[in-house]
Amino acid sequence: MGDIGLLMDGFANALQPIYLVYALIGVTLGTAVGVLPGIGPAMTVALLLPLTLTLEPTAAFIMFAGIYYGGMYGGSTTSILLNTPGESASIVTALEGNRMAKAGRGAAALATAAVGSFVAGTIATMLLTLVAPTVARLAVQLSPADFVALMVVAFLTVAAMLGTSPSRGLASLGLGLFLGLVGTDSLTAQQRFTFGIPALADGIEVVVVAVGVFAVGETLFVAARLRRGPVPVIPVSGSWMTREDFRRSWPAWLRGTAIGFPVGTIPAGGADVSTFLSYSAERKLSKRKSEFGKGAIEGVAGPEAANNAAAAGVLVPLLTLGIPTSATAAVILAAFNSYGIRPGPLLFENEPELIWALIASLYIGNVMLLVLNLPLVGLWVRLLQIPRPYLYAGILTFAALGSYAVGASTTDLVLLGLLGLLGWAMRVFGYPIAPAVIGLILGPIAEEQFRRAMQISQGDPTALVTSPFAAITYSVLIGLFALSWWLRRRQSRLAAEVLGDDDVVPATEALPAGEVVDREGSGEPQPTGVLPVALLDPPAGTTPDDERGDRR
Amino acid sequence: MTVVVGYTPRPQGRAALRVGIAEARARGEDLYVLNVSSGASLSDPTYATEEQWAEVVEELRASGVEHRAERHVDGRGGAEEVTRAAAEHDATLVVIGIRHRTATGKMLFGSDAQRILLDVDCPVLAVKA
Amino acid sequence: MTHALPEQAPAAPERARVWPEYAFPAGLLALGVFTLVDAATIAVPVSTNTVGPRVFPYAVGALLVLAAVLVGLGVRRGERAEIEDGEDVDTTAATDWPTVAKVAAAFIALVVLVEPAGFPIAATVLFGAVAWSLGARPLLRPVLVGALIAVTLHVLFTQVLGVFLPAGPLEGVPGFG
Repeated sequence: MGDIGLLMDGFANALQPIYLVYALIGVTLGTAVGVLPGIGPAMTVALLLPLTLTLEPTAAFIMFAGIYYGGMYGGSTTSILLNTPGESASIVTALEGNRMAKAGRGAAALATAAVGSFVAGTIATMLLTLVAPTVARLAVQLSPADFVALMVVAFLTVAAMLGTSPSRGLASLGLGLFLGLVGTDSLTAQQRFTFGIPALADGIEVVVVAVGVFAVGETLFVAARLRRGPVPVIPVSGSWMTREDFRRSWPAWLRGTAIGFPVGTIPAGGADVSTFLSYSAERKLSKRKSEFGKGAIEGVAGPEAANNAAAAGVLVPLLTLGIPTSATAAVILAAFNSYGIRPGPLLFENEPELIWALIASLYIGNVMLLVLNLPLVGLWVRLLQIPRPYLYAGILTFAALGSYAVGASTTDLVLLGLLGLLGWAMRVFGYPIAPAVIGLILGPIAEEQFRRAMQISQGDPTALVTSPFAAITYSVLIGLFALSWWLRRRQSRLAAEVLGDDDVVPATEALPAGEVVDREGSGEPQPTGVLPVALLDPPAGTTPDDERGDRR
Repeated sequence: MTVVVGYTPRPQGRAALRVGIAEARARGEDLYVLNVSSGASLSDPTYATEEQWAEVVEELRASGVEHRAERHVDGRGGAEEVTRAAAEHDATLVVIGIRHRTATGKMLFGSDAQRILLDVDCPVLAVKA
Repeated sequence: MTHALPEQAPAAPERARVWPEYAFPAGLLALGVFTLVDAATIAVPVSTNTVGPRVFPYAVGALLVLAAVLVGLGVRRGERAEIEDGEDVDTTAATDWPTVAKVAAAFIALVVLVEPAGFPIAATVLFGAVAWSLGARPLLRPVLVGALIAVTLHVLFTQVLGVFLPAGPLEGVPGFG
């Protein structure tokens, strides 16, 4: 049976009513949690993981796919309607989206983000459908030494690229690898670094680590420096998309997809790099350069599309090679492991039903998100009104619940607290969290492959680099480093250029409040005094035509 | 002698502002308009945005009533601040906007209106949108 | 209009935080050395040919030491930590130790209480105490909200999802398991 036939089977499976319900629960929860301030996609997935503990694998992964895409989606809504410091992936969306919202075109910004995410998500999922089985078939022929090479690539790129400095990334990776060592060696049944504590003999639960460093760490971090005071939420106003908006948006969606998908597949590419690349491409190609920084719709459409395409791109190495390239992917890999399912080349052969149902549910999730998001914007915005004390108390309670639930042991709670302290310290001292999580999950797998490779070569370490694939991989690694270094430099230059531009009011610490230029003062037909929640019907006369833009 | 208005950028808040202006004019007293956020959440719809506040200031200026308008974040929240302002400015009347609340909502999150009604020493005028 | 946060102060002058900058790499170094030393005590079964259970730990230990040295050198060159930014984080504020201590105490209370008192009660204590520490007033309100959430989660997980959570004194009460 061809891949298309398998995909159809996947749809037949995923379209069963019960699975649709799981998908719906997944996208709804994912979006809701993703919208909340302070919770990124990786934390969303980690926090909601316990909900799938007792489900059968197919149901669990359908729900998980929904949570993953929903969590990605949630952030953009927040960044268009608020202008707050947040995750780097949404900074770009905030740039133009927030400007559009302030100019009374919030509805159009949300619409182009939502439709763009849908278009990009769907095209990227199609690409995933086409590419993944082929990659998996090729990957079956890889030897353990080849896998070691791939993992070295993943480790080094992730450590070097995520975070402020390579040395701090390496430190974070080392911490993760150490945590991954704790437990019983799978090949010789020897206990390592268990400190004689029986509960540690099975190793540290990945969920506990992920929830600890993300959720508990974040809560402590926030508790130590709680920000007080609200930010204004811009009412959703203006018409949804005009024909002109659509005409300007669709090329940007396609370009964003074309940029996002491949960038997502490379280690440490991830969402934020792709959004910056897409933004710079849009700005370069636009005939209305002067509108950029003042609410150009292409500047929302492109990066949002890129963001979602990258989310699908990340799944290619995850599903076909078992290599997570982002923290979110690492948590998903952990979820697979908890079902005894090993993502990798054999996944498509061993679990065709599960994997194709999962892929089909990505298509379904995208449709659900498109249908859900725009009408529910008011509800999502309402979630931002949860007082911070309650929000973080809730996060901590849920984190504790999840950690206890996986093993029914208070030792896990103690570990959760200690890992929370670690996560807090890492945030304060500027160590990226993602490499630690990836190291924890990928470390044991890498060790196993390494030892197998050495067994095959009977202890000859040169075997690690002499297979053609490994040799090519290590050469590509060097090339990749050059490329990523160039991308990062571009991103930071762009960030400096774009964010430093005083035409723009960015949401970064770089610009203190007092220096923000007041450009919106008056003149805009701002519908005032309307609750964002109530404002899904655009008031008459608040549809500035496109060309007028914001130039005064 | 002052009329104090607890303002929120909601229909009932705007109604309170209108009534407050009328009352101050009729009594020949000053008007003190206050908008407070407890700052507890990232988004607080009861806190006026710059634009909304500019409208309030404009409306007050147009009314010709002697007035002061203040908008700030205070952790103690709106009810405490209005009560404090009423005492401080020797208020003869406090005007607030009220709306329907569910019993659960009131139990869990309290009612600023109720606290003001009980805590303020002068008469309180509750206005519906 | 300015969309900056009301209480955001202009960027704070760089504080003298050189000492804590070294604390993290020092900890890493200690962990790395420990890993190397402890790896030597891992028993290697006779049957192990080629690579045994010690090799990877040695590599990880070496990596930790290397990273610690690199970070340390970076700090000496003047590299400073960039504190993570967040929507709810005031990066210019100093660490509020009393609040952190209260949150930590609430968490310890949960660990101690969860098995004897059961999840609903322990989680209520955790939620109420954390929300109160972060500024929710009066105390009764976060406790009520916490109780509502704790009971909902308990019923959802034990009754609907079939996950085990200790019920404590509520054992046997219908709906609590």
